[in-house]
Amino acid sequence: MRMDADSSMQDTYFERLSEIPNSDKYRQCLQCGTCGGSCPYGIATPFTPRRMILAIRANIIDELLESGAQWLCTSCYTCSYRCPSKIPLTDGIIPALRELSLLEGNPPEELAAALVNIARYGNPFKESPRKRINWTKELDFEIKILSAKEKSTDVLFIPECFGAYHRRCKEVTKAMVEIFKILGVDFAILGNDERCIGDLTRLSGEFGLFEDLVEKNMKVMSKYEFNRVVTIDAHAYHALKHEYPKFGFDKPVYHHTQFLAENLETLKSMFNELDYTVTYHDACYVGRRNGIYDEPRNVIRAILGVKFVEMKRIRENALCCGGGGGGVWLDSFIKEHLQERPAEDRVREAAATGADVLVTSCILDIPMFEDALKVTGLEGQLVVKDISELVLEALK
Amino acid sequence: MKDVMVVADVMENEIQEITFEMLGKAKELAQETGGSVVTVLIGNKLDGLVSNLGASDTVIYVEDEKLENFTPEFYRRVLSKVIEKVNPKIIMVGNTAFGTDLAGLVAAELDIPMVTSCMNLALRDGDILATSMAYGGKVLVDLVAKERGMFVINRGSFSSDAGKVEGSPNVEKLSPADLGVSLEDSIEFVGYIKPEVEDVDISKAEIVVAVGRGIGDESNIELAEELAEVLGGVVAGSRPVIDQGWLPRTRQVGRSGKTVAGKLYLALGISGATEHVEGVKAKNVIAVNTDPSAPIFRISRVGAVVDVLELLPVLIDKISEAKSG
Amino acid sequence: MKICALIRMVPDLVEELEIDENGTEIYPSMYIANERDEQAVEEAIILKEKHGGTVEVVGIADDEVSTEIDEPLAMAIAKGADKAMKVNLSRPTYKRAELAKALAEFLKEREYDLILTGIQAIDGFAGMLGPMLATYMGLPYIGNVVYAELKDDHLLVRKELEGGVIGEYKVKLPAVIGIVSAEKPPRFVPFAKLRQAMKSAEIEEFDLDVPEIEGLEVERYYEPPKPEIVLIEGEPEEVAEKLIEVMKEIGVL
Repeated sequence: MRMDADSSMQDTYFERLSEIPNSDKYRQCLQCGTCGGSCPYGIATPFTPRRMILAIRANIIDELLESGAQWLCTSCYTCSYRCPSKIPLTDGIIPALRELSLLEGNPPEELAAALVNIARYGNPFKESPRKRINWTKELDFEIKILSAKEKSTDVLFIPECFGAYHRRCKEVTKAMVEIFKILGVDFAILGNDERCIGDLTRLSGEFGLFEDLVEKNMKVMSKYEFNRVVTIDAHAYHALKHEYPKFGFDKPVYHHTQFLAENLETLKSMFNELDYTVTYHDACYVGRRNGIYDEPRNVIRAILGVKFVEMKRIRENALCCGGGGGGVWLDSFIKEHLQERPAEDRVREAAATGADVLVTSCILDIPMFEDALKVTGLEGQLVVKDISELVLEALK
Repeated sequence: MKDVMVVADVMENEIQEITFEMLGKAKELAQETGGSVVTVLIGNKLDGLVSNLGASDTVIYVEDEKLENFTPEFYRRVLSKVIEKVNPKIIMVGNTAFGTDLAGLVAAELDIPMVTSCMNLALRDGDILATSMAYGGKVLVDLVAKERGMFVINRGSFSSDAGKVEGSPNVEKLSPADLGVSLEDSIEFVGYIKPEVEDVDISKAEIVVAVGRGIGDESNIELAEELAEVLGGVVAGSRPVIDQGWLPRTRQVGRSGKTVAGKLYLALGISGATEHVEGVKAKNVIAVNTDPSAPIFRISRVGAVVDVLELLPVLIDKISEAKSG
Repeated sequence: MKICALIRMVPDLVEELEIDENGTEIYPSMYIANERDEQAVEEAIILKEKHGGTVEVVGIADDEVSTEIDEPLAMAIAKGADKAMKVNLSRPTYKRAELAKALAEFLKEREYDLILTGIQAIDGFAGMLGPMLATYMGLPYIGNVVYAELKDDHLLVRKELEGGVIGEYKVKLPAVIGIVSAEKPPRFVPFAKLRQAMKSAEIEEFDLDVPEIEGLEVERYYEPPKPEIVLIEGEPEEVAEKLIEVMKEIGVL
């Protein structure tokens, strides 16, 4: 249904915004432009976050929506991180704008399809939910799947959608599970009842769907006993740690880099030598959003023979791979506005360090960077590995 | 009831390939029933096409100015009358925008059992056994039409060779008035809107030749274009190729591009990444890649582990030979 | 304009379709709205937005799909349809002629100016709903339509022909139109809006008797033979020859 008048669009917008903590800080926007200057799409977007706030203040939200600028965001959090007024751009200003587009009924098609699929099948790939644990069949050992018969475990491991279904990404899931086995960890997965954890839906403005996913996932998890959650998906980590508690979730949540760092002493004693020059990409939702910088570095440095080199833009200044915030489903839309994707820029930066391995820790990095390697012709020069894949290699 | 009727699919004075495919099968069926093959041709100034329909025993050609362009109402009245006149056992119509309108209208009017999406027909004890492709191609359905039926035939189900015979069938030329069909119409044809020549819609193409990174260089796209031309298909590409600017974005296949669903998808130097494969719904995939573990082979009918650039020139020559020979 | 759009449910192919041992019954695990019917609903709403009038959506239900149809009906309301109705068939049928005959009287009574339906469904192997419905109702029909516009005394439609060519036609109303795709892709409906519509939508239910029409029966359902993955290696000459053989098998040569 079309919006009747600007005022009702404005009203809807502010109603949603008011639900996001600290959203009224937008009134303190200094118009300094740090956000736009930091944004990976800053040069391409018709409305940088700064101009978005101007548009909101001037009540020309319809113009803003028509430009599509709300979709030229990868939720990398650089703008929010650097904003002197601490305006919740990533969690509030932009998702609430996206919600208006969704209400208008015309989000970019690829993303729309992903959202519809998540609602219906629990994953964006339009794959059957009954196939969510098919990756386990590729292991040569059994793993514990929580069910009526097996109700408890120490670690609940969450592969998330890409980790379960994506042909390349499930290698990371399998690597992590092998590491658990080597370490003798008591872990289990949720099985086919696991649905998309949903950070992508929240950041895309599909607040209703996000709530539904939280509800469904928490209902499933409440059937079982576990002490903590470990996940390889940085966005799942973030949602479980910071958003799910708002709905009553109360278990400790760990990203797999934290888990690996925690078990480093044991792992160290088992590492073989690897002859790689490695650089590490600080994924947005591991590093900048959640402050996990040293753990992955310590793990990599602990592997003998590995020469570690840093890129120029590291830690809180790392450049996003472009996959977050629905980015992985917005590729053709974004490509209409940009010459070079952030991922291509980033792999060039990685190659310039002289590294032959680019280590990542957010599952979305892998398809984004591997594609970028093809486009930039750097395929032979650099390979992408998740930190768990590197660790497993050192263990074998 | 022994005759086999084929409703000719004609577009802008050209008999469409499906007609010949149906004719070939019609001949075979008519031999079994002991009846004749009757082709129905509806239009205007189509006398010249009759000789192409040599595979028929009879051609019933209904001509009128108002029949020059297909309109459902007028054509359905004509076809119904012709069917009543001939009383065929089997009526074959092509699975096209033309055939699918007509078949349902006439089948309902004359209470004739109708099967859509047919890929095969056979006779059994006076009944007709039809095989239909349903559920997105996942399930085949065998149906039995009692004594007679209307069958909407999928393109490519039968070979057109047996149907492409020059000859002089017995021609019965009729006017709508002869059939008692009135000329007043509730649907009027206005005109055609033709696409711009540059705008190829790969999602509608039967044969697609797609290139990936394995094509190496922009200059090699020419080879793919030659291959497409000789096969009568279109060129498409996976995302890296489009990004390089070697092909326009309208040619992109995959999650971010278009979905191809035709008869053949030739994947040249494409690895078969998930994002790409999501756009490949063609009935047959032939993949060429030097890496035997490339995922594209998992969805291929046949895979060739060979260098694309070495294979193409040879393949193009051989296809040209096969087509002319 | 008083518009009606019909919605059918079909098996969702994302899930497995089971066939019983004898091949006489098919067991879908999940159902989804027929994609082409969703296009028809979208086109109906677009026409209402362009020209005014009302859109009533009729969902077709039977023993196998009684509640699944509620969601697509609610979706239509969320998009702007005025009324949702559900017809409960006295028995399921795969024969479109039977369905069309059952619907004809029901729809005739309601005196719609325009009835829209999708031109195809994955389980539409026996007959075709649109043209058969039109015939039983005594109305004109045109299918494969991608665009419609109301003019003074007729509906102007564009029909997709082969090779990307479009045919324009003038259609006198009332009529039945078969939609292949709406003039714009179906709009997105946010999850919360759909949930809201499902809670508040009032779906009027009707019982419909399905007549039996003889002359056509399903003998069996079965899976098509699966092709093996075949990898060819060797010199370009040899490989090319083998590929040509395959192309002949496929029917492109």
